[in-house]
Amino acid sequence: MTNTTEKTRATATVSARRPMGNRIYRFLRSIPTWFLWVMVILWTIPTFSLFVNSFRTRDAQRGSGFWNALSDNANGWQFPTLENYQEVLFPDVGAGLGNALLNSASIAIVATIIPIAIAAFAAYAFAWIDFPGREWLFIATVALLAVPSQVALIPLLSAYSTGVALTLPVIGKTITVFPDLNLSGTIPAVWLTHTGFAMPFAIFLLHNYIAGLPKDLFESARIDGADHFKIFFRLVVPLSVPVLAAFAIFQFLWTWNDYLIALTMIGGNREALPGTIVVASLAGEFGARENLLTAGAFVITVVPVLVFFALQRFFVRGITAGSVKG
Amino acid sequence: MNRLAVTVLGIVAAVGFSGIVFIGVNKLFDLTEDRYPLYSGIAGGVLSGGVFALLWGNRMLESPVAVTIAAAIVGAAVGFALGTLEQSTQRLAAGIAGGVALGLLLGFSAPETVWPSLDPVGIIIGLLIGTGLGFLLWVVGGRQQSKMISRLFAGAAIGWLLGAWVATTLDGSRAEVIVVAVVLGGLIGVAIGGRPHPDQKERGEIAAGSRKYIFLAPALVFVTAALVIPLGRTIWLGFLTGNPRELTWTGLSNYTELLTDPGMINFGNLGGIVGSRLFWGAVLLLGLGAVIGRWLGRRVGMGFSAGGGSLTLLAAGMILLGFAVFTSLRGTIPNNLWWIFSVIIFAVSLGLAVAVLADRSKGENIAKSLIFLPMAISFVGASVIWRLIYVARPPQDPQTGVANALWVMLGQWSNSGTASAIVSLILALIVAGLLYLAWRAWQADSSAIVAGSLVISAVLGYLIFRFLGPGIGGFAVSEVTGEVIPDPVLFIQQGPWNNFWMMVVFIWIQTGFAMVIFSAAIKAVPGDLLEAARIDGATESQTFWRVTVPQIAPTIGVVVTTLIVTVLKVFDIPKVMTNGNFDTQVLANEMWQRAFTELNFGLGSAVAVLLFIGVLPVMAMNIRRMQRERLG
Repeated sequence: MTNTTEKTRATATVSARRPMGNRIYRFLRSIPTWFLWVMVILWTIPTFSLFVNSFRTRDAQRGSGFWNALSDNANGWQFPTLENYQEVLFPDVGAGLGNALLNSASIAIVATIIPIAIAAFAAYAFAWIDFPGREWLFIATVALLAVPSQVALIPLLSAYSTGVALTLPVIGKTITVFPDLNLSGTIPAVWLTHTGFAMPFAIFLLHNYIAGLPKDLFESARIDGADHFKIFFRLVVPLSVPVLAAFAIFQFLWTWNDYLIALTMIGGNREALPGTIVVASLAGEFGARENLLTAGAFVITVVPVLVFFALQRFFVRGITAGSVKG
Repeated sequence: MNRLAVTVLGIVAAVGFSGIVFIGVNKLFDLTEDRYPLYSGIAGGVLSGGVFALLWGNRMLESPVAVTIAAAIVGAAVGFALGTLEQSTQRLAAGIAGGVALGLLLGFSAPETVWPSLDPVGIIIGLLIGTGLGFLLWVVGGRQQSKMISRLFAGAAIGWLLGAWVATTLDGSRAEVIVVAVVLGGLIGVAIGGRPHPDQKERGEIAAGSRKYIFLAPALVFVTAALVIPLGRTIWLGFLTGNPRELTWTGLSNYTELLTDPGMINFGNLGGIVGSRLFWGAVLLLGLGAVIGRWLGRRVGMGFSAGGGSLTLLAAGMILLGFAVFTSLRGTIPNNLWWIFSVIIFAVSLGLAVAVLADRSKGENIAKSLIFLPMAISFVGASVIWRLIYVARPPQDPQTGVANALWVMLGQWSNSGTASAIVSLILALIVAGLLYLAWRAWQADSSAIVAGSLVISAVLGYLIFRFLGPGIGGFAVSEVTGEVIPDPVLFIQQGPWNNFWMMVVFIWIQTGFAMVIFSAAIKAVPGDLLEAARIDGATESQTFWRVTVPQIAPTIGVVVTTLIVTVLKVFDIPKVMTNGNFDTQVLANEMWQRAFTELNFGLGSAVAVLLFIGVLPVMAMNIRRMQRERLG
């Protein structure tokens, strides 16, 4: 809007004699601001259509588009119906997404807690403990952010399923480095994997914040005789709550929404599958239970969306930290 | 319930165990300054217990529980003694006694499978090398008199271990294993007992110097175990072939197999680019852009002017050219490049546009929240959502997907006289408005708007032509009856554009990401810079392009590199929507299928390495940027 007026002022001298033309011109120049709301509508329609369709019967979903939902009720009450949700959530009739949601929660909660603690220790050390090679170690750790998780999947899966044995060169003796704990197909395997993959980003994000805490704080604490351990728990953790929350939301959404790592590490163990895999396999059936698909997709979507809306402020801070030089 | 138990257990284990270990280790090192014997005792117990537990894990102990506990107790006693005793002979005696005791423990509990047969040659070589290395370390470490004995004997112990036990055949007798273990224990005992008792200052150094390890170790262990070592192993596996249990070296053959596979990259259709309308549209736009740039340049006395007018056309031309290339050059690798190309162009430009338009406008927060919302939705959820949008029903049925419903409706309109007349009229009005805008912009000398509105007018003009002439939208004319029947698009099955329809899903998600970052960057542009520009008489769009954009340029770089990394490994969307069928394969799904469906670890690793090579430039850029910020 300021855009338009300023621009018009610039050309005002040319067009002083044409009031009608000016009005049209101003109108045309304001079109870009509508673009924002066109985008908003376009961006909302897909989610909205899923939401509406998940409350429609199978026949209604196959027979007409979501915009016709209200006319479903022409022959008796059909919309909204909870049928799809009932069927998709409970194991005896449908896909058993209820169990899968518990798995998702289990994966996401634990895979959020472990990395926070571990990364906070490391971020503190990188920020406030001096040691030779600190900068290089930090850069090397954070550089791993760009490594695609695909490059680690095969070795990790075989470590989980058969353990890691190291055959010493020349003398040919084998020692076990990581025992075969039968982790493949279990949720703990997913926890460990997520923790490892989350490290570079977590350290990067937390370090940015912790390194920015005022230096005097640490100096006066040290003069008072506090050691690193005390400073960390009494000073750094309470002061870093916003960034810890930001990372927690980030990691929660990431682990809840993850498909690749769970698919690789859990694979065929039906008992341990998270929601994303169950919904994806429903999608793979092409048609047979497509009415369940809408309800299933909505169920796995609604949790992160609620988290997101409730804690958006922290989430945005997490995303923007470090990428904007303020 | 079982699942709940696992979860709760996981949380307890994660928080409780790691918390206890972390706090415990910290507290342990707190002891060094004031209660050194206690610290030394606990450290000794944990250390020797840990070593025996490791042996236990490798099945090298009989009745392991009792032996491990005994080892921990002996270790603790030695540690406590060494923490208390100050005289060097007493310390040496305590060290040797403890070492021999542990050696006897190990010797008597080692199972027959690990009894070494003594081999003097190996022992001598091992001892020589070990002691030599110990001496070398001592020299390098500053030749402190007090450390000489301990370094030499530590080296000797390692040499003895390698020479007498590791590098020998395991067919010896009980007596031999006892001798080997006792000597080993004795050597280690001398190495430990030979160090002088640390004074107050040294203890303080132990306490302070330990912290960096304690704070860093957990994270570095995870990073190393989950990223660094697997990365190295994957690169290695890429040179092997065969089933997972029996891999053999094949050199580069995995890579030659991949790069000569027409499914990976296929130049066959590249000739078809000459017949594509996209290509000629691109040539036309690029030509026009060049001509206008030249013309603008001559007016200001330069060879070429990259002003708004020419840049708009050149950018549009480049985008069309990119699409022309990617719809002709097919295969998995071009698909990935196409993903990167479109997602970056659309997510960055739309994200930037929304950030600018929303900035300080009414309803800024609502608009931004709604555009950002898809970021919270999983790729799986998003794929399901967009399949609903793209679904194609048989022609005789009503279309239930938004995309096909609109497309078929357009087809009906263009075949009905009144509807096509109304639509053409509306479009003609818009064209008239745009032409007027172009004329006014021409007078105001802003070539970008002239070029932009002319291009849009041309597109709309073409639409009018289609409406009035051959028709547009999803319809077909039946050959039998001559009736007009609906003809939906198979958005997901019909190549090569189905790739782009899947990219739309990704753009839908990532635009919010770009927007949020740009929004923060725009708000961080110093207000006085903008003020100064305005006072100097810059128009709003000049301020944007000459002040705001250069200010947020580094942020654009960050967004682009982040998007490259995210898009390159795109997996979920193609996996769920097509599983790589219909010409939509991408590298991540290729890797997954090769490795985990076909169990061809070698080929799967080679594909993963291709992905890794793809991110290397980004990694290099990130490292350079961090170096500048932190070291330079």
